[in-house]
Amino acid sequence: MAREMMLSGCAAAAQAAKMAQVEVICSYPIRPYTAIMMELAKMVANGELDAEFVHGEGEHAQLSVVLGAAAAGARALTGSSGVGVTYAFETYSPIAGGRIPLQMMIADRALDPPGDFGSEHTDAMSCRDQGWLMGWAESPQEVFDNCLINYRVGEDHRVLLPQFVCQDGYFVSHIPGKVVLPEQSQVDEFLPPYALPHPLDPKRPVSHGPQIRPDQGTIMDLQRAQAMLDAPAVIREAIDDYNRIFGRNISPFLEEYMTEDAEIAFFIMGAHTMTARHAVNHLRSQGVKIGLVKLRFVRPWPTEDVAAALSKFKAVGVVETSTSYGSAMHGGNLLHEVRASLYELPQRPLTTSFMAGLGGEMVGLKDFYYMADILSKAVKEGKTRKTVYWVGFEAED
Amino acid sequence: MFIIPKGKEVPLGCVTPAPVSEQPMMITGNWREYRPVLEPEKCDLCMNCVVFCPDACFQLDEAEEKVVLNEKYCKGCNICINECATDALTMAYELDFDDGVVRLEKPF
Amino acid sequence: MTVAVRTQTLPPIKLIRNVPKEEYYVPGHRTCAGCGPALQYKLVAKAAGPNTIFLGPTGCMYVANASYLCTPYAVPWMHTQITNGGAVASGIEAAYRVLLRKGKREGELPNIIVMAGDGGTADIGLQAMSAMMYRGHDALFICYDNEAYANTGIQTSPTTPYGANTTFTPPGSAIPEGKTLFPKDVPQLVIGGHPAVKYVATASIAYPVDLINKVRKALNVQGPTFLHIHSPCPKGWKFDEAKTVEIARLAIETGMWNMYEWENGEYRYQFKPKKYKPVREYVKLQGRFAHLSEAHIAKLQAFVDAKVRAPGIPVATPVPTPQ
Repeated sequence: MAREMMLSGCAAAAQAAKMAQVEVICSYPIRPYTAIMMELAKMVANGELDAEFVHGEGEHAQLSVVLGAAAAGARALTGSSGVGVTYAFETYSPIAGGRIPLQMMIADRALDPPGDFGSEHTDAMSCRDQGWLMGWAESPQEVFDNCLINYRVGEDHRVLLPQFVCQDGYFVSHIPGKVVLPEQSQVDEFLPPYALPHPLDPKRPVSHGPQIRPDQGTIMDLQRAQAMLDAPAVIREAIDDYNRIFGRNISPFLEEYMTEDAEIAFFIMGAHTMTARHAVNHLRSQGVKIGLVKLRFVRPWPTEDVAAALSKFKAVGVVETSTSYGSAMHGGNLLHEVRASLYELPQRPLTTSFMAGLGGEMVGLKDFYYMADILSKAVKEGKTRKTVYWVGFEAED
Repeated sequence: MFIIPKGKEVPLGCVTPAPVSEQPMMITGNWREYRPVLEPEKCDLCMNCVVFCPDACFQLDEAEEKVVLNEKYCKGCNICINECATDALTMAYELDFDDGVVRLEKPF
Repeated sequence: MTVAVRTQTLPPIKLIRNVPKEEYYVPGHRTCAGCGPALQYKLVAKAAGPNTIFLGPTGCMYVANASYLCTPYAVPWMHTQITNGGAVASGIEAAYRVLLRKGKREGELPNIIVMAGDGGTADIGLQAMSAMMYRGHDALFICYDNEAYANTGIQTSPTTPYGANTTFTPPGSAIPEGKTLFPKDVPQLVIGGHPAVKYVATASIAYPVDLINKVRKALNVQGPTFLHIHSPCPKGWKFDEAKTVEIARLAIETGMWNMYEWENGEYRYQFKPKKYKPVREYVKLQGRFAHLSEAHIAKLQAFVDAKVRAPGIPVATPVPTPQ
């Protein structure tokens, strides 16, 4: 019997990990993801979850411990936030290139300097090019979904990639939302047992990772490139199964909200999507032809889906909560990938970047109305006045 | 989608097979300038050469009751000569041997 | 969480002719001719046997052994970063505990051995090594000590002796002795503060029977264990490669290397000379010390004299060991 509970994103993550029957967990405390580990510690201590709970000495160690565990043949889980995510950076390429499909839960936190507990996507986004699957949840329910979906996709032998499962710190990680917990039998049907092709086992000796020549390095990189090319089909398959088994209606890469006759749209991911929906509802009631497109996976980036979805609008506001100092147009990360996705189209919508929620700041309805106003003006004038707006910090237009 | 030229394959995730008794992808016998030569009459099978060779190139042939050198891999470091308890091993110039200096077919 | 999952007892050996014949570190590796670390690796692999998983943090025993796309390890082996040998080993041990408990693997916990250089043990790898010792994982951490970051072309490490010439401590008119710092005492770092550790020992390639027995004893102990193995490096220390074992012997005879075991708070010493040879005899055979003046050698001798008076600092208060 499926149970409905009010759970924070962190609690939902722990429930998902428990139902995925993770076998080795490595903890280290840093706000705000720590709550995931505290929940799991209780589950292990009272026998609800049969797993080894290893106290890592730091985030770099966390990733190293679960790398060893997953290479030995156990389903492994770790997590972090903010500078913890970037401290472990050395390990991300070895894990992805070694094709070890472990999972890292990230509850976003702004990077230092200085200490700032608020949510910003920069921590995870700065690791996006190492060959990990990466995506964001809008709600605790999506955190639960994404944990299971990512284990299923990452462990598939056509993919074999590790996964960053991301949720906004505080807004998702600590605010409760409705989560439907399925039956264990349903989860077992969706997620087969972990089976690495060449685990470390004295019965079948192998050597993991001897030194290579530079000309062999290209081929190592091509392997990861090929896995990312093959991943979208596996994602679609997995989500089809997820919808069938759990009675849901998730779209794998993009969710469109009120886009049927929209002229302008927000392109957004993560916690603030919820506020954006309310803004869209209100603006629609005022006759504004506005919609919203929500992104689920940053890696693999769904280029064709983005092009198809956004091509129907006249102007798109890319709402970003991560920084890319000094990049082209001095925009955020998402703007570049959106523009690249749209480049081949004969007719491209106008695009602007809205830097919002950085540092963990609230993004309110008024902020979305401001963004919508800019987009509407752009459509009227046939051009954008600026490419990048730091919402709340721009001079009056 | 990608064409990997023949001979350039790299196993998935760089996971290579473990060797069994030797690693023929790393022949090192052509490193040496000097080759250890055994005078069996002087040898008392102390096993120093077998134990102290970093490359496991001396092994005891139990049937023959003789230590035998693996010339394919011996680097000519001469630890065995230095540690031999009975001076049964001496250095000989590699190029004085008919099969002196084993060459790789495809050097790096 | 400690479940006795190993009943293995590897037996000690008495003589060199009892050294096991099977090779698990096979011929065909790109280490230097006369490489001390390669010799200890061969002996460790023999001692451990086939039910073993090795971890290879970046260093000579990774790069030189595993070039290119091939290795000499006949047992399972995995490369780790130089930073995290202890952490990866911890993860493998945790995985085997849960997999055996759940019946997903059969048999016993395999030997899990980290083969780290001095940098990967006491410098950049110190955090992970200490955490593995603290958490009580049933695994062995070996430091093969060639007293430098040798793989990268001989740079100073925390175990490089005072007065050594390395590419980061070259002697010059402003700094005549080269290295001015005295080394960390690595076994003491382990013994000093890790309650879960029950066995720590130093060993040397000069005494292979003793080395093999210490490896086996460490593997038989349930819990984390540490071995510090002296592994002279002909290239880094600048001596004739035929003399690798001889140099290792001389290190013990002069007191530059001390042989002991520490087990549950008790020290046992091996190969302790009745009369130590002067350090000068050790130093004059190695190019890395060629620049030392009499004053420098005297300083080194004083350091050794103090060290050999009490190899291993006895712990003043008993270290509590968990049940």
